[in-house]
Amino acid sequence: MKRLLILVAALMLLSMPALADESRIFTIYDENGTEITQYAGLPDIGDEYIARNNGHYRIIAVDETKQRATAQALGAYSLPDVSWLTENAQPVSAGREKAVAIYCTHSDESYEPTDGVSSDEQRGGIYDVAENFKQALENKGITVYYSDETHHPHDSGAYRRSRSTAASLLENGVDAIFDIHRDGIPDPESYEGKIQGEDATMVRLLVGKSNQNASANKQFAAQIKAVADKMYPGLIKDIYIGKGSYNQDLLGQAVLLEFGTYTNEKGDVINSTGYMADVVNRTLYGGVSGPAGNKQSAPAKDHSGGMRGMIWLVIALVAGALIFAFVSTGRGRDTIHKFKRTFQEMGGGLFGGKKKE
Amino acid sequence: MSIGLILLGIVSALVLFGVAQRVLDKMQLSDRAALIIAAAIFFGGLIPDIRVGRVAFNLGGAAIPLGVCAWLLIKTDTKKEAVRALIGSVITAAAVFLLGKIMPDEPERIIIDPNYVYGLVGGGIAYLLGRSRRAAFICGVLGVVLADIAVAVVNWSKGIDQTLVLGGAGAMDTIVISGLLAVLLAELVGEIYERMARPHRRENSDPVDTPVRKGEKR
Repeated sequence: MKRLLILVAALMLLSMPALADESRIFTIYDENGTEITQYAGLPDIGDEYIARNNGHYRIIAVDETKQRATAQALGAYSLPDVSWLTENAQPVSAGREKAVAIYCTHSDESYEPTDGVSSDEQRGGIYDVAENFKQALENKGITVYYSDETHHPHDSGAYRRSRSTAASLLENGVDAIFDIHRDGIPDPESYEGKIQGEDATMVRLLVGKSNQNASANKQFAAQIKAVADKMYPGLIKDIYIGKGSYNQDLLGQAVLLEFGTYTNEKGDVINSTGYMADVVNRTLYGGVSGPAGNKQSAPAKDHSGGMRGMIWLVIALVAGALIFAFVSTGRGRDTIHKFKRTFQEMGGGLFGGKKKE
Repeated sequence: MSIGLILLGIVSALVLFGVAQRVLDKMQLSDRAALIIAAAIFFGGLIPDIRVGRVAFNLGGAAIPLGVCAWLLIKTDTKKEAVRALIGSVITAAAVFLLGKIMPDEPERIIIDPNYVYGLVGGGIAYLLGRSRRAAFICGVLGVVLADIAVAVVNWSKGIDQTLVLGGAGAMDTIVISGLLAVLLAELVGEIYERMARPHRRENSDPVDTPVRKGEKR
């Protein structure tokens, strides 16, 4: 009984942030006290933020009571070079099927002015946005593996349930996967804008930093922003790199897209899906430069994100195994012995052979 | 997709495969059997989900881990251990269900990622109930499965037509991760407990060759 009480206490500790936070909107300021942005969630120290103007920030302090965070300015973020992208460039066929996947983790998310509610327990208006995004991508010649599965309820298990959907979609060998959301910031103006004279809403890119693909996904998000900034300035609101995985550990080209916020008109949000589809097409498949289309050009393949992820993964694995070996032996020599043996066993005896007892 | 991303995917899969094999190896399975089951989880996970009405399940993500649980329950040394494992699974399921409700709904506001917290809960409950690695695996796997079923029943009772998908992410599913993490946690807690209880080992004792601790079940 005593043991179970300890466990219940531990569970309560795990849930403390939920009990502490009544409202979800945090305002992020720079060190001079100037507001940078709002964030519908709890910023974490070390989170990164790339503003619309490419100002790069890192969260250095969070005041949960006042729902504000302070970010240190790191200078201008250097987006990937998209000089290959020209105004007349047409998307180039990759020589194989162009394919992406789309799904919605938070199935209830809706747009209050149009849908009447911000959260629909049956099926949210977010699916209309996802379906329009799908259609726009298909119009660009991209095969879209789209899942309209729901993942109710909107609780901490939603990403666990949508993980099955994401993994199933990835079996189709897609080049990228997008989880479609809408933001929870109350101010509609924070997302409103005009793209090529048309009423539309901006898109926030959200990248999870707590997984081995974090570097690769951040790089992918930066590529999307670089292309969008050149083709449709103002379409991408910003990039937030925060705590969490968002199932982005499943692929190195996975991004969460916040299409507007719940107080925006859904029609304006849908208008932005066409522009976003164009940006995704160019980001993934490049274009052909020149009027005759005789000079092919495509986004440079940058391997650094994947490589960084691999190094991160190997370091985490080795560190974990070393800590475990030290905890169980408590002596340097035995630690190394146990560490080596662990790796031999992990390969089922394939690597170095497991010693017979 | 760049070579870096492809390599990253391969290395990630290899790491999970290695951990799975290592964990299964600790539960009365031979090296070869552990390797075969780990491979079955991986390759079974690539087979499309099997749908029966409103329920879909994945071979690698649910059927094989559940099969391992059944085998472990049959192979328990005593009936008491099997009952403890089942009680632990029900408690884990209740904890997973409740955590889903009381933890924040956005990952950035949760201290530990939901994919990992359930395994830690399962491992913790199993260890407290019986200090058993096998029970830890059963609690980690069965706890998440039962909690998923409970969520589906609540949804259906509200008229929400949502498919119950078990283990749909294959080897990367929370069911598999939870089972593996539960065993690793039970192992780590056990090692720490052992170190605290017996800080001074005899020089000629080799901790590596005594993988099962006194008073602890495999």
